[in-house]
Amino acid sequence: MAVVVPPRPAGAEYVERLERQWASRPGVLGWLTTTDHKRIGLLYFWTTLAFFGAGGVEALIMRTQLSTPNEHIVSPGTYDELFSMHGITMIFFFIIPMTTGAFGNYLIPLMIGARDMAFPRMNALSYWIFLASGLFIYTSLFMGMAPNAGWFDYVPLASRQFDPGRNIDFYCLGIIFNSIASTLTAGQFIVTIFKSRAPGMSLNRMPLFCFAFLAASLGLLFALPVLSANTIFLFLDRNIGTHFFDPARGGSPLLWQHLFWIFGHPEVYILIVPAFGIATSIIPAFTQRRLTAFPLVAIAELLVVFIGFGVWAHHMFATGMPTISMVFFAAATAMVVIPSTIQVFAWCMSMVTGSARFRTPLLFIAGFIFMFVTGGLTGIMFLAIPFDQQVTDTYFIIAHFHYIIFGAAVFPIFGGMYFWFPKVTGRMYFERPGQISFWIIFVGTNLLFFPMHIVGLLGMTRRVYTYPGGLGWTAFNFAETVGGFITLVGILLLFGNLVVSYFRAPRADQDPWHGPTLEWTTTSPPPEYNFAVVPTVTSPYPNWDDADRERDRAKLARGVLVLDEGHEQPAVTPVDGRFAEIVEMPNESPWPVVLAISLALVFTMLLIEKYVIAGLMGILCLITLLAWSWKEPQE
Amino acid sequence: MSADPARVPVPRTTGAESPAEVVAAVRRRAGPPAAWWGMVVLIASEATLFGAFIGTYYYLRFETPVWPPLGIPEPKVVVPLILIGCLALTAPPMLLAYRAAAAGRLRAARGYLVLALVVQAGYFAFEVHDFRDQLHTYGITRNAYSSIYYTLLGADHAHVLLGILFTAWLLAKLAGGLTTYRVNAAQAIAWYWVAVILLTFAVIGTLLSARV
Amino acid sequence: MSALSLRSLAVLQWFGLLAGAGAWAGQLVVGFGVTQAECGAAGSRFGIGNDVWQAALLGAGVLAILVAEAAAVTVFLRTRGTSYEEEPPVGRMRFFAIAAMAANLIFLMIVVLSGTASIANVTCRQA
Repeated sequence: MAVVVPPRPAGAEYVERLERQWASRPGVLGWLTTTDHKRIGLLYFWTTLAFFGAGGVEALIMRTQLSTPNEHIVSPGTYDELFSMHGITMIFFFIIPMTTGAFGNYLIPLMIGARDMAFPRMNALSYWIFLASGLFIYTSLFMGMAPNAGWFDYVPLASRQFDPGRNIDFYCLGIIFNSIASTLTAGQFIVTIFKSRAPGMSLNRMPLFCFAFLAASLGLLFALPVLSANTIFLFLDRNIGTHFFDPARGGSPLLWQHLFWIFGHPEVYILIVPAFGIATSIIPAFTQRRLTAFPLVAIAELLVVFIGFGVWAHHMFATGMPTISMVFFAAATAMVVIPSTIQVFAWCMSMVTGSARFRTPLLFIAGFIFMFVTGGLTGIMFLAIPFDQQVTDTYFIIAHFHYIIFGAAVFPIFGGMYFWFPKVTGRMYFERPGQISFWIIFVGTNLLFFPMHIVGLLGMTRRVYTYPGGLGWTAFNFAETVGGFITLVGILLLFGNLVVSYFRAPRADQDPWHGPTLEWTTTSPPPEYNFAVVPTVTSPYPNWDDADRERDRAKLARGVLVLDEGHEQPAVTPVDGRFAEIVEMPNESPWPVVLAISLALVFTMLLIEKYVIAGLMGILCLITLLAWSWKEPQE
Repeated sequence: MSADPARVPVPRTTGAESPAEVVAAVRRRAGPPAAWWGMVVLIASEATLFGAFIGTYYYLRFETPVWPPLGIPEPKVVVPLILIGCLALTAPPMLLAYRAAAAGRLRAARGYLVLALVVQAGYFAFEVHDFRDQLHTYGITRNAYSSIYYTLLGADHAHVLLGILFTAWLLAKLAGGLTTYRVNAAQAIAWYWVAVILLTFAVIGTLLSARV
Repeated sequence: MSALSLRSLAVLQWFGLLAGAGAWAGQLVVGFGVTQAECGAAGSRFGIGNDVWQAALLGAGVLAILVAEAAAVTVFLRTRGTSYEEEPPVGRMRFFAIAAMAANLIFLMIVVLSGTASIANVTCRQA
């Protein structure tokens, strides 16, 4: 009997060749040596979730300690370590690596039509350094010498005289170690976004998600060195005996504050701008319309970070500086809200004029807008110097920044997890539990953070490990603790839902939402090479351009722009995206892990004051770099 | 107006196999490679670090009536300026080395690099000697002035050392022949040196401003 | 008005986008630096008071931003009929012109607010 062989899909032989070229090494070794941006994104995802858990536990212990007056669940010293580690963990080991490392790594190449980042091995290095720096700093907690002078670690409290143990040395070295990872990631994103876009994707046709990540990356690039300089000064003061911050010998404690906040304020915009990018991806998908005022939203994302570099001294209004110095920062603080307002307006207009379907991701974005506007309103209040001098260092400030950070960073992260879950896992998620998890988290976080405004205005200061009764603070604190535990329930439901969905939910096809950008044009999950052909791009919403997608299918059938002669991807000119060259990308490499371990040894030796051995470990790092650079990408 | 990417004759640069292919590919590509942009980004980061150091210098200066403080000599002018002049003279050979490599003239490239490396290493050796001499006059832990002085200067010397390692590495790589990777590296490293030289001018200028 | 070449239009577009931002950044760094020098322990040693410096910075800043805005508006008007989503270079130039027109207004407000406030307040009085 004749056997009927079904016809092969057009272009199948090219796809087979790509599968062979890009196949990843199997097993644990494959993960340890991976340079695939998707695998690195997943590694970041799970690691940052672990740190989120740690930061959350720290928060809940603090909330329990503060639930009623005169509690003794933890000692004052432990409480100091808790609030310091909570801030450090959530900022440096959760939000930044989750948004940039996880979401950015996984999605940017997909959104720009590329096969990988510009420097894949360096991408892997970023992850391993991030992991090593997190383990480094958490070692301090397990040894009972965690940083204990707050996440902003002011001198003279953090000087050797007042904090003689290794706590602050862990801080200085851990922060510098971590900032290497973030700097490499920032540089990676900037070069990738400029050079690795699909030909035809000029900057005016780039998705807003990429503008947001470009803004955040530029922010990280220019903010982190200032923090490094500051922590170098502190480390030298503490360990060598220099006098940067010592007023008796010409130094100044205010120098620490200036340098810290020149980093610290851009940092908080860096925390939320990627989340803006997530919001601008989710809204068009669930309204099925282009985002209002696209060029204004794009420039607003860059402006928020740029102007954010000029507001730093609003954290120092109570330090006694002259008014004529402070007005520069008050003015910029007043105006920095405008780009954010432009974005809020564009999001709301899009949701109102489009037919919004409030599935779980869009619910989280709606919650985000509510919380961000609330936090933003209290933020503008701080530009009034007299008002700020009253509320600085009270719970009013804590309320403000948690509305912003939890509302404007964490809510979009949760929404993004739901939104891209089908793409990453190939499964849908269960909708009902998703929506319920949103409402529980929304109620919980508002109960947790809103009373802090009131109790701050009633005089409760930051970083107190307990408080006396009879001040009118008790009921509010108790409510906040209840809110904290409600939030915990919601978060557990969220992750429980995603885990169960991974094993039980129906399979997702490549485009469940009819999303606007290129990741929805490829399979769920995407193949190692992302796209079989270099995509045709003529607008910022490529998945809605049916003619272009038809052209891609025709290109695949004829084998045009498949780029299967090696591990290849295109490179373009930075502004207009004209096709410049075809480059070979490297495969798996063991050197990123080795280098991260060598660097960890350097920082450990510096911590225990073995400076000569630290120098030798540094030479080991150089030798590793030499070995790394010896194998060129085309080999 | 813009060409259909499917029809643009675009070179396979990193995949170029022979030196002739490398030269042709490098000539045909539009704009600098990702490696050069990566170096620009690194330079931006390091320049910001130096900006923080220089900002600190002036901040501390504005807070201190007598600068340099009593007991510390004013920085010398002549020797530092001569030295930085010598270092600046290595920029043309580094750039010419890149141009030669891109044109396939390997021997010329190696020659320029050797010339630059000798001057760079000599500069560095002299500066290390000078640094140690100064430390004997007044240590880093004397006061805020000495703290920022040695940190700023030391950071600059560290970046020069990094540049020397880059130059030596490039020489070793080019000893093995020409690939696009090595041409890209030559371009990136040449511009690293331009940046370090400009940064050194800024650093020396800042330190010498104590005499004003 | 004579026809502008594509190259001139591109120069105007980049100037319009970047000059306003640079003007604000310069006014902030120099203006703040002047107040620190004036009010720091070392005191002002050049004899020119804070108010003169701030007025000069305010004037120069406002002028630069207005010129940048004019450049952005020019590009916007010259690219009439093109959508900001269209092919580069014209589509891209329109995109950045729209962006620059909004950005320069924001920078103008910051410079005017901070410049006037730094003159109106009593020099070196603590906040």
